[in-house]
Amino acid sequence: MRVANKSIFDAVKYNLGNISEELNKASEVASTGKRINNLSDDPVGLTQTLNIRSTLSNMEQMGRNINFGRSWLTASESALTQVENVISDLKALCVQMASGTTGSAQRLSAAGTVQNMLDEIVSLANADVSGNYIFSGLKTDVAPFSQDGTYNGDNNAFSIKISKNTTAEIGSDGQAVFGDIFNTLSNLKTALETNDVSGIRDSINKLDGHFDDISARISDVGSKIARLDIKDKIYQDLDFANTERLSKIEDADIVKAIMNLEAAELAYKAALASSSKVMSLTLMDYL
Amino acid sequence: MSSIGMVLNIATTALNAQQYGTGVTAHNIANVNTEGYSRQNLILEAIQPLGANGLIFGRGVETDQVTRSSDRFIENRLMQEKSSMSSSLEMEKYMQVLEGFFNENSGTSISAMLSDFWNGWQDISNNPSGVPERISLYERSLLISEQFNALESDLIQMERDLTNAVSAGINNINQITREIAEVNQQIIRMETTNTVANDLRDKRNALISELNEYLDVKAFEQSNGSLNIVTAKGCTLVQGSTSYDLEMGGVNGDRIRWQNSSGSYVDITNYISNGKLGGWLDMRDEIVAKYKLDLDALAKEFIWSVNRQHSQGVGLTGFTSTTGSYQATDTGAALNSTGLSFADKIVDGGFRLWLYDSNGNYDSDTILTIDADVTSIDDIVTAINAIDSTKISAAIVDGKVQISSVNGYEFAFSDDTCNVLASLGINTFFFGSSAGNMRVNDTIGLNKNLIAAAQIGGDGTIASGDNTNALAVTDLQYTSMNISQWTCDRINGNTQRSIISTIEDYYHSMVGSIGITSASVSRDRSFYELMVNEITNIRDSISAVSLDEEMTNLIKYQHAYTAAARLIRVSDEMLNTLLGLK
Repeated sequence: MRVANKSIFDAVKYNLGNISEELNKASEVASTGKRINNLSDDPVGLTQTLNIRSTLSNMEQMGRNINFGRSWLTASESALTQVENVISDLKALCVQMASGTTGSAQRLSAAGTVQNMLDEIVSLANADVSGNYIFSGLKTDVAPFSQDGTYNGDNNAFSIKISKNTTAEIGSDGQAVFGDIFNTLSNLKTALETNDVSGIRDSINKLDGHFDDISARISDVGSKIARLDIKDKIYQDLDFANTERLSKIEDADIVKAIMNLEAAELAYKAALASSSKVMSLTLMDYL
Repeated sequence: MSSIGMVLNIATTALNAQQYGTGVTAHNIANVNTEGYSRQNLILEAIQPLGANGLIFGRGVETDQVTRSSDRFIENRLMQEKSSMSSSLEMEKYMQVLEGFFNENSGTSISAMLSDFWNGWQDISNNPSGVPERISLYERSLLISEQFNALESDLIQMERDLTNAVSAGINNINQITREIAEVNQQIIRMETTNTVANDLRDKRNALISELNEYLDVKAFEQSNGSLNIVTAKGCTLVQGSTSYDLEMGGVNGDRIRWQNSSGSYVDITNYISNGKLGGWLDMRDEIVAKYKLDLDALAKEFIWSVNRQHSQGVGLTGFTSTTGSYQATDTGAALNSTGLSFADKIVDGGFRLWLYDSNGNYDSDTILTIDADVTSIDDIVTAINAIDSTKISAAIVDGKVQISSVNGYEFAFSDDTCNVLASLGINTFFFGSSAGNMRVNDTIGLNKNLIAAAQIGGDGTIASGDNTNALAVTDLQYTSMNISQWTCDRINGNTQRSIISTIEDYYHSMVGSIGITSASVSRDRSFYELMVNEITNIRDSISAVSLDEEMTNLIKYQHAYTAAARLIRVSDEMLNTLLGLK
């Protein structure tokens, strides 16, 4: 084919243009460390990375929710454990006070102790996490129990989201948790004050019941914490797996990127060298 | 009969011819870099010989004509490919800008903002009475609304830029067609004298090629040498020495029109498929238009779903006064034909209106029943006014429903089964119905306690720790909805179909689709570039100047010239010899 001068120059321009575009792409990948720098670099990969990022963000939020839930459940567990201890102390006191060797004066003074313990249980039942009461159902701004044991909360449980379609109850309906424990205590106090031994005996039975109830609650809370821990562990694993997947999709294989860059550079140099040779050839030099 | 005089004559024709040849070579060399120039060749012919005494005597050489080395077929193919290349080249440029708008690596990613938005609701569900959580959600909602607004205005700006480019292109086209008409005229004049107007034809070719870079045209050569040019829908741009202008017109001044001889306009916008104009129009009316519609559809569904759930809930307090954010054109009409932005979402059902006294204690509740194609906004206002005018009243201001309580009373809503509250924009989170006009409801901006994290209990209580509604809003993140997806086609019009997707997935696939479009435009561009390059090579192998060849020709003519000159000297010597005989 006849080759015109213009063809030679055009070919040089076109080829250098193509190779420098490749060089530019290769250098972009190597310098950013990212395989996808523009939407068009890999639209499918990009959509995947967007989905993974959303998932990661959502899991991070779930992690925060779980931590938040844990703080409530731990507060619950610690309050209930203390209540359990108080009940156990009360039981011991009752056994002592029910004994025939105990006098009315001792009983009267024990009544004061019971009042203190009642106050303590009320205060434990009014436990809060940063101002939100954990035993008042959804009325988290209202202290659940008045001094006389009246319940001011509602009969719902405060729940949080721990995954796409599951929630976890982290607060409780105080009435359900504590039952008529306050009644039992004030009855016990009256019995002590009035030296009513059979009343005291009644209380022992009731206290046994309360002890069992609270114990059951504690193990319930414990199992909820365990559930959150497992969820959290799962999220951590998923987070790791997803972060790795994200990196696989969007990060450049740096060794490959540098090899590509070198290859592009070499091709560019070769094209420059051959271009300069071809362009300078002319018959005029020989005439 | 041959004579020395005749040799002299022949030598003279030879000198002339070789000199002419050098001239053509010089012209070729001079135009080695002229775009569209076709190299010229001198065609030499022996002069009709003379017969005498049964012998034939040659009479020398004459120049027959100067021809152009040009192939019409290749030239046409080249123009078509160049036209397609210009189209994809322009699209590629604008696609790169469009990609930039949606670049997820920048800090303005809607995807990340959406995650933040949902996470904000999660935080509120963890601590419904917390003020910082409410402020943080408000800020995040502002950000995402502003980002939707910004994207919409970026897309609108791009449409304007494209229209401006088209308009400037039209001016260039008109300029070029005028020049072609002029050149036509010159060619007609020149070629009547039986010569071929080589350089003018090259010039006209270059002009047509330039015209083809703007839009797809067809050229028809007439017997007088002039060229008629026709574009989309058979509209004539050049006929002989007359050119016809294109112009911008239409309601928004963004359509391309051609005026026919009877003065009526033909809109050819949708029929220009190639050249820069084709690229700009594809970009404006198919690509940008699609993503603008898709973005609007997404924003609309996002606003609606959040508002619908929000309107079911209650904040930390009730309202003392609120005004709907959507305007009705006819408050007397049945709800689903009121002209409200979301009128089509209203169904039969009802909602409950709760009243609380100045201490926040439950006072009463009323169920308002709605029949979507009977009940009017006026009816709702009347029903509210009928409750107890010492506690609550309603009115219509500017097509919007305004509800106010008096004497320290507060009101709240629940159990809206007919979507009427969300459609009126009462107790809603977002304002607006598209990417362009979306923002956070002013009522919430002024009082973040009205962010409805709770739902009213069966006994009318508003519990500050109730996160039921906030949890329901966070669920929207995972809920698939029916969202319109558009296909824009200049010839077949814009069509939509409904796809089922979550808000996030819809956005992600939209971004992915922009990437795919951009990648395919780039592929087209490099394909056409390759084609243009290949065909240019062929064209140049026929038409372009090779300096080596011209140098060879130059020497060829030089030698022939020298030889002709030698002929004269020899003839001269012969004459001298003859004359010296005396």
